Amino acid sequence: MKFNKIENGEYELDVTGYVCPHPQLYTLKCMEKLEDGMVLDVLIDNPSSVESVTQACNGKGYEILEKTNPKSGVTALKIQK
Amino acid sequence: MADAIASYRHKLYAIGVLGFVVILSLLYYFSAPVYIYIIAYMWFGFIYGILQQYGRFCFASAFRDLIMVKVPRMFVGIIIGLIMLSIVNSYIVAVYPDKYIIESIGFHGLLGGIIFGLGMVLAGGCATGSLYKTGEGNMISFTVLMALAFSQAIFTAIPRPYPGFDWFQAHFITGKTLNDIGLTKVLFGGVGNPNAKYSFIQHLLGDTLINAVLVGLLLLIGVYVLVVRKPFLKRRARQIAATAGATADGGTAKTGFKDELAGFWSMISASRRTSIAAILIGIVAGAQIFTLAWLQNRYNFTNFGQVLAGKPAIGQKLPNGNPVSPAAPASWPQTHAVPPQVSKNNTVFDPGYWYITTQEAMFGGWVLHHIGFSVTNNTYFGLNNGIPSPWLSPALLLSIGLILGASFKSLLAREFKWKFPHSKSGFAYAIGGGTLMGLGARIGLGCNIGAFYGPAAFGNPSAWVFFVGLFVGAALSAKYINYFANRKMASDDMDFDIKL
Repeated sequence: MKFNKIENGEYELDVTGYVCPHPQLYTLKCMEKLEDGMVLDVLIDNPSSVESVTQACNGKGYEILEKTNPKSGVTALKIQK
Repeated sequence: MADAIASYRHKLYAIGVLGFVVILSLLYYFSAPVYIYIIAYMWFGFIYGILQQYGRFCFASAFRDLIMVKVPRMFVGIIIGLIMLSIVNSYIVAVYPDKYIIESIGFHGLLGGIIFGLGMVLAGGCATGSLYKTGEGNMISFTVLMALAFSQAIFTAIPRPYPGFDWFQAHFITGKTLNDIGLTKVLFGGVGNPNAKYSFIQHLLGDTLINAVLVGLLLLIGVYVLVVRKPFLKRRARQIAATAGATADGGTAKTGFKDELAGFWSMISASRRTSIAAILIGIVAGAQIFTLAWLQNRYNFTNFGQVLAGKPAIGQKLPNGNPVSPAAPASWPQTHAVPPQVSKNNTVFDPGYWYITTQEAMFGGWVLHHIGFSVTNNTYFGLNNGIPSPWLSPALLLSIGLILGASFKSLLAREFKWKFPHSKSGFAYAIGGGTLMGLGARIGLGCNIGAFYGPAAFGNPSAWVFFVGLFVGAALSAKYINYFANRKMASDDMDFDIKL
């Protein structure tokens, strides 16, 4: 899984190919590394992890700015800390 | 344009899956009408698959996500589903008292639960969760299922290491099968009387109210206090302060009991899809018991093995209390199975309710038997379950239906994607997790469904013993995975490429 800076204040994380619990675990650990206001773009292909990440963001007060389906089976989330 | 074509293609595949199940059902029915019984198993599996995929319904996530990422949605879902299932079950056992399931209580539940819990978090899904994820195209989950099947079959079939093992197992692991532990019996008398009958209201008060609602509510309150309450009230206080205008103490305000209730409700309603799926799964699981019992009455058998062997269980009673007719109905198949295809008692594994792990063990046993291993020299395969062909193993058709149902739903939702183990360690997690689940299921005499969900709904305290074990095992595995994640993420580097 790859975690990269794409521009100032925006990072991307690709956890495709991984199954529970790794996508939700690494997404939240990456969010912890970011500063308030920064954005993380995550790619997940494990549907149950998308649900868990969404719930965890609600609990932590992170905002999901965008949720798209770039291709079949893959969900892209844009999360702001 | 390409997107529209892909979407159309997925719908077409989904219809193909549905068509396959319909055609398979017709083929079964026309080869012998009594096969409608195993067709029913398959269709109930299909519905579980749809609902589980929709609700992302997996017991591993109930414990793991609660511990690792503080998400209680699945834990809540399990309790909601349990309460629904228990209400329906209370009605069923009032009509069909023989369907009252009572599991033995003992140390085996705790030990099996711990091992199963360890395994399900490593594997990335519980037994039934791995079935629906296989339907999503996840071959890592399929690997887990195969490990689950063969570890159970091997554990059951291997000769015991020393003669005292069975004695040790009987006394200290397997516990005692107490016929009188159902809470309704304790509450309304009848302890020691296996034929005691109770009304729907009595079952509702004993089994449902105490074992499902009361225990479930206490657990939910516990999760609220430990996980949800603090962050919720903090946010709430900030909101109150914001609407009231800035206050002197830096933007916080006091919260009261009303806010606690709002917090509890926010926990229950956080994931609509999980809660809706939980309610429906509870109802469907009850409907399955009712339908299968009704079909047994109609087709004159108490276990599907009798149908396969062509031998009615003379002297036994049907679920409705009528005696089994000595003549095999014309709707039964004309070719007959013999041991070891059925057990020495003319039975196969036919639980009559939502069950997950034993049928995979049956499949593992069937494969081992056909490649030349001796697997029937034990109670499990020899005396109780036999080694039926997979296509005639009732509960295995439930598992197959579940996979197909999840495929159907995930194709429609464009969530289907082929996924293969990404590395040696990913493969090791799947095999190791599946193997541990298999061992846990055999020691605990069932998985998260057979040893927990079903018995808990039937008022069996034994279910909660298994549940405690599951929690302990899941927590240990979660700590282990978290520890490795922290080590991999320890550097301050904001760029990384991790392979697990």
